[in-house]
Amino acid sequence: MARTIEVLPDAVANQIAAGEVVERPASVVKELVENALDARAGRVEIELAGGGKRKVRVADDGLGMSREDALLSLDRHATSKVRGTSDLRALKTFGFRGEALPSIASVSRLTLETQADVAEPGTSIRVEGGRILQVRDMARTRGTTVQVERLFFNAPARAKFLRNTAAETRAVSDAVGTLSLAHPGVAFRLESEGRVLLDLNAASDLPNRVAQLWGDRAAEELIPVHGEGEGFRLVGLVQRPDAARPGFRRTALFVHGRPFREPALIRAGDRAYRTTVAPETRPWILLELRVPAGSVDVNVHPTKAEVRFQNRNAVEALVERSIREALEGEASAATMDQDLPLPHVQVRERSPAGPGDGGGSSETQMALFLRGDGAPGPEPGQEVDGLVPEPAEPPRLWQVHRAYILAEVRDGLLLIDQHAAHERVLFEEIMRSFDTGGSEGQRLLFPLTLRLPAAEYEQAEALSGLLHQTGFEVEGFGGDTVIVHGVPAPHPNFDAERSFREMIEELTHGSELVRSARNQHERVAMSFACKSAIKAGQTLDEREVQELFDRLFATELPYHDVHGRPTVVRLSSRELERKFGR
Amino acid sequence: MNFTITRQNLHKGLAAVSASIPTKTTLPVLSNILFEATSEGVRMSGTDLDVGVRIQVPADVSLEGSLTAPGKKLQEIARELPDEPVRITTQGDQIELRCGRSHFKLNGLPSEDFPTLPAVSFESGWQATGETLLSLIHHTSFAVSTEESRPILNGVLWELSDGQMRMVATNGHRLAKMTVPAASSSHTTVQFIVPPAALQQVQRLFGKEEEVVVGQEGNHLGFRSGGTEVYTRLIEGSYPNYDQVIPRDNDKWAVVDRKTLESAVRRMAVVASDQTHRIRMSLAKEQMQLNVLTPDLGEGHDEIEVQFEGDDLEIGFNAAYLLEILRYMDTEEVRLGFKAPERAATIEPVSGEGEESGIEYLCLVMPLRLLD
Repeated sequence: MARTIEVLPDAVANQIAAGEVVERPASVVKELVENALDARAGRVEIELAGGGKRKVRVADDGLGMSREDALLSLDRHATSKVRGTSDLRALKTFGFRGEALPSIASVSRLTLETQADVAEPGTSIRVEGGRILQVRDMARTRGTTVQVERLFFNAPARAKFLRNTAAETRAVSDAVGTLSLAHPGVAFRLESEGRVLLDLNAASDLPNRVAQLWGDRAAEELIPVHGEGEGFRLVGLVQRPDAARPGFRRTALFVHGRPFREPALIRAGDRAYRTTVAPETRPWILLELRVPAGSVDVNVHPTKAEVRFQNRNAVEALVERSIREALEGEASAATMDQDLPLPHVQVRERSPAGPGDGGGSSETQMALFLRGDGAPGPEPGQEVDGLVPEPAEPPRLWQVHRAYILAEVRDGLLLIDQHAAHERVLFEEIMRSFDTGGSEGQRLLFPLTLRLPAAEYEQAEALSGLLHQTGFEVEGFGGDTVIVHGVPAPHPNFDAERSFREMIEELTHGSELVRSARNQHERVAMSFACKSAIKAGQTLDEREVQELFDRLFATELPYHDVHGRPTVVRLSSRELERKFGR
Repeated sequence: MNFTITRQNLHKGLAAVSASIPTKTTLPVLSNILFEATSEGVRMSGTDLDVGVRIQVPADVSLEGSLTAPGKKLQEIARELPDEPVRITTQGDQIELRCGRSHFKLNGLPSEDFPTLPAVSFESGWQATGETLLSLIHHTSFAVSTEESRPILNGVLWELSDGQMRMVATNGHRLAKMTVPAASSSHTTVQFIVPPAALQQVQRLFGKEEEVVVGQEGNHLGFRSGGTEVYTRLIEGSYPNYDQVIPRDNDKWAVVDRKTLESAVRRMAVVASDQTHRIRMSLAKEQMQLNVLTPDLGEGHDEIEVQFEGDDLEIGFNAAYLLEILRYMDTEEVRLGFKAPERAATIEPVSGEGEESGIEYLCLVMPLRLLD
């Protein structure tokens, strides 16, 4: 009987592998660009024709290959990156399976041009359908250029699944954009049919790369994230809560510069935004992970789009914690600054204005002493920030419109919404007090006797334990009546009855706010914070303003209230100067 | 209008009235003082629509008439004038003021624009000595509520009944009540709920020795002594039954030196939470312990000697409420009464032997629930 099982010839094996690695031009580009990055390229240029279906050309200025290496690279499982299985776990480079180049070569007409050493001539190799047609010397600069033409010319079934040119171009552009985020220090250029789609110079850091890709405004809306734990390191950018919108979002995850998909980590990021954004809002999240060797398996999928973490919970916790910490900072506050550059007008500073000036009056106060031009002291606009340590002086505060607190801080102004700020303060205080058994209730001389609708009465009874911990001592009196013996005292003008009624109503019938809560404790705390906080219209004296300011900045997330609205809007001195054309 | 007045009388009148005019108002005439010159002298009136003050000062009137003029400005001018007779005349809506070589013209508004102060008849009124009235106000009005949801508690309850006069104020967390003997009158018991702003004017304008007549007209009350009158709108509604919440069954009594307790509580309050000012008081034989523990800040502990009768007790208080009450106690020692950690505590002065004055002063403070 004849043998029915045969070892496949390499060409066939390569074609099968190609089915896994190479789906479309975008995956060709991804593989080739990753090779370029592994070769420590400083600049990667990509050219497309027909959305990459007709031609993909990736040129880099990386290390290049010797002729021997170049030929080996077209052999399946030939790789410079893995020597044994132990290396597989400690991977730091992109490619390692040794599948990419031979797989691509097996389904296209591929030309590889490379030079590694100036002392030796460069090499050009032409391959068609996996068969090497020609190897010759060539003169070129250091680096590698791979040109892939007529992708899937010998796999018509696969060619049929390619989409139209525009869609394939877009996919390539997305893939390059994503990789460029992971490598801000590398210059990228993408051209399609002579049109420049991306032209990114080497950027100093991720924010600058984001600005190159999506504009300055997008970059200004992102705040940096840093985190470390259990050997993992996390850096990245996430969106300021006030800039986040429902609908479209950008997310990107990298591990050692390798993009991957992991919805669970994005979800962990979303959890970190809890109470700082409205529930349906989807903030941008761009994160890069550095992991200890051996803790991640990237060999799950041929295109390495998925990775497997040994301890995914720890990674999720790190993501959530780090983003949360980023949201605690002032940078996460809403801002009044605009990125639109205003026309810069050079105005000569006038001599010190007298009190009569500016009031529209034509009289001017004569100055007794004129300040000499050579007067010591910093010139306006001169950068002294870096030299002078932050003064210990507390910021000056004013209440404006009986709704906001205006704070003069070192590098600008803060406007604080008094209600939102107090909400944040109360929310965190109540959440913390739940851990310690609740907060004090002030017993009442004249207990409140309240009649409630049946559903609300039941809710009040059911929640009486938690309500008690917020300070509301509630006792069912029978029928539809509850007696409130004790109330919290969140501020001197607290209207306990109204707050209690509104809270029970919200907890009974639900609201957008309480639906965003994770558990019953949070529901009660959110509702309590919202209904009990100082309202707009409440006059605050100097001491109360100061106290609210201090307590707000003692919270974990001072810049965001519990509804996902900002508590603070920032106007930087820089922006003020720009507005006034200084 | 044309009159001559001494600088002292002008200043006295303006000072009395201008404190009652609002600093910010949407009704311009309210920042003015109404001058009415009659054969009996000059009356000056000011009001913020809730409380009004009127004072009559002697003046040599040569032409009767009336006009309103900016109150604060006039007061500031009067303060700076030399000690010479001041002649005040009007010209249309302008008021002119001459004193020595100083001469001012200020724009006024016609007197018809000025709100009429309530016409209160003092004929059938009540009488109280300034001393009684001021003591009642002083000892109770601090306890009124500033929270606006229960307007009733924004006022001081004033009860006048046969042989006694009483004021009560509370914000629902603590209460102050004082009763003093008053000249017997045949009136049945009457109750007023008086805004503290009016009582402040009474405190400011009337002396201890003065005999104050009080009259009511509708929902307005008037106070009068000499040429000075204070009018106020009363707060309408029924005051909560304060008598019902005064504990009768307190069975644990501590007598303590007021100053010692006050300074100990003040020390504890430093470390107490800004929000609740919670301190913990433990009472056992001969000793009161004060404790405070504030998360994120720290803790404090203090001990005071007391005479204590009853079972041991631990109770929480808002230190600010205790301090406030202790400040208004006039005696060296105070007596604190307790029943249970969730029941009202009483604080009252301990008068020395033979000092029975018939004055009853009692403050209540509701505890803060303690967490374990």
